[in-house]
Amino acid sequence: MAALTATAPARPVPARGPRRLARRRLPIWHLLWLVVAAAYFVVPVVSLLEFSFGGRVGGHAAGFHWYLTVFNDPSFRSSFLLSVRIAIETVVLSNLLLVPSVFWIHLRLPHLRPVMNFVSVLPFVVPPIVLIVGLIPFLSPFTFLYSRPEVLAFIYVVFALPFLYRSLDAGLRAIDLRTLAEASANCGASSASTLLRVVLPNLRAAVIGGSFLTVAIAMGEFTISSLLSFNTFPVYIFNIGENTGNEAAALSVISLLLTWAFMVGLFIVGRGGRAGAQVAATR
Amino acid sequence: MARLELRGLRKQFGRGVVALDRLDLEVGSGELVSLLGPSGCGKTTALRIVAGFEVPDEGEVLVDGVDVVGLPASRRNMGMVFQSYSLFPNMTAEDNVAYPLRIRRQPKAERQRRSGELLAMVGLATQADRYPHQLSGGQQQRVALARALAHEPAVLLLDEPLSALDAKVRVTLREEVRRVQLELGITTLYVTHDQEEALAISDRVAVMSEGRLEQVGTPAEVYASPRSPFVASFVGTVNRLEATVASRAERTVRCGELVLRVGAEDFEHPDGTTVALYVRPEDVTVRPLTDGPAPAGAGGTVRGVTFLGSVTRVRVDCSLGSVVADVSSEEALHLAPGEAVSVELDPRRLRTLAPA
Repeated sequence: MAALTATAPARPVPARGPRRLARRRLPIWHLLWLVVAAAYFVVPVVSLLEFSFGGRVGGHAAGFHWYLTVFNDPSFRSSFLLSVRIAIETVVLSNLLLVPSVFWIHLRLPHLRPVMNFVSVLPFVVPPIVLIVGLIPFLSPFTFLYSRPEVLAFIYVVFALPFLYRSLDAGLRAIDLRTLAEASANCGASSASTLLRVVLPNLRAAVIGGSFLTVAIAMGEFTISSLLSFNTFPVYIFNIGENTGNEAAALSVISLLLTWAFMVGLFIVGRGGRAGAQVAATR
Repeated sequence: MARLELRGLRKQFGRGVVALDRLDLEVGSGELVSLLGPSGCGKTTALRIVAGFEVPDEGEVLVDGVDVVGLPASRRNMGMVFQSYSLFPNMTAEDNVAYPLRIRRQPKAERQRRSGELLAMVGLATQADRYPHQLSGGQQQRVALARALAHEPAVLLLDEPLSALDAKVRVTLREEVRRVQLELGITTLYVTHDQEEALAISDRVAVMSEGRLEQVGTPAEVYASPRSPFVASFVGTVNRLEATVASRAERTVRCGELVLRVGAEDFEHPDGTTVALYVRPEDVTVRPLTDGPAPAGAGGTVRGVTFLGSVTRVRVDCSLGSVVADVSSEEALHLAPGEAVSVELDPRRLRTLAPA
């Protein structure tokens, strides 16, 4: 019995090594390189921020003056709201076009995926100026559309294509689409039901991620809206910058904050998407 | 309960790859028939044609006499459990089971009642609010089974539902599948490459090879009386020995130094022809030569001994060829590699087939 109940002597806990083993000192060159890289991105932002608060107004430091000027300018609100509206229209149109298309390509026409991959890269290759020069003669007969800002949404769908397509493509590859679609059909669901009730909820992260990038593109696009004479937010920033440097700096800071807000949104969505990826990985 | 008939099913993929070559099979009402065969024999293709995921080049799929080939999968009223985990990741176990009823616009109360009932039947009543990634593989397949039964399908289809699970869970779950099938009396077509699984749960087994049916019969028939060399070698472990027909009238064959009287009913081989003699390891007796007077079997030497639990598999080289025998592990204590033994075959269990 003694042999059965005897416990093994406690194993000595190995002494921890010298602290310097745990905390390795970063070589000075590495640190310097990191500082230079950080400065490359941080210094312009800090300068921009400082400039947006800079200058004197009526003998006093400007402070938030330029920001207040921007917020009180009716053109700011109208241009910002116009860009938001176009961004929303672009997101809705892109998703309506792409989600069912990519779903069908993955499920029924996988041999078309290389073609789709190629097409989705084209907006990167064709410069916006080339695209708009080609589009103007095509669009000008459609006066009802050409004169309305909605025309921008139709054009931005092309620019958003690579981002939304890649996002959806990755999302669909992360799930066993064929099995899920067949299981849903076996339960009696139509293709539309399968897309809405089974596929879309599992593509949530991909759709939202791609949509955020689409919003970022639509909110930041300048060339085409300027050429078509629509006073969108980027065009407004450009016009202000021609007259008042400090006010343009304040606008740029606002624009940066909005972009970062989108980035935070992407990060949060990405964390949600990781749970989805985990689900896919368990299969 | 429905009757399922596959008539002359033919399916070719690409150029020259014939997955199914005029397959005929009947599954009676409330019967469980297994399609058994190696990878690529066409069994899954047959099941997918029945489910509506593949269209046959020729042939009919009849449910209670009505051809359903023209119907889409969503309108065939069949329940299917897939090989890979097919639960919808965005839904709980309960929502997954209720999904077919939701599609059929059943009231919420009815959906909850039915899904609760089915989850209880598969032993997962307490896991109803779990998401698929919170369930083990075995639990996911139980939920998939419950979902496949939710809309009371005419036919239940199972496509290697246990192949992704570990051995112990596989055994438990296959018994569960059979219990549920018998409880509901649902007509079932079960695809598997695992012969033990097929023999354990089926009313009848349909053995397939290269797109064709080799043999259909009860598990006992298929195991004890294989009709082709393929079935004999695929279903269970078997010794294949070369023999010559000594007398057709007396049903005797010469194998090595032994003349054996064959018990098989359909002994139709002419005198002098070479036949393949099949005998299961459990029908071979191995005795140490030291046991009293010289026995009537063929002399040989033990080449290998493998402990399998209740039985031990012994490989013997003898005048009949290389023979594998399953002996009780207690008897096997007296057998060691290199030992001289006598090998006897149970003539009642011998099976002769024309060589492949």
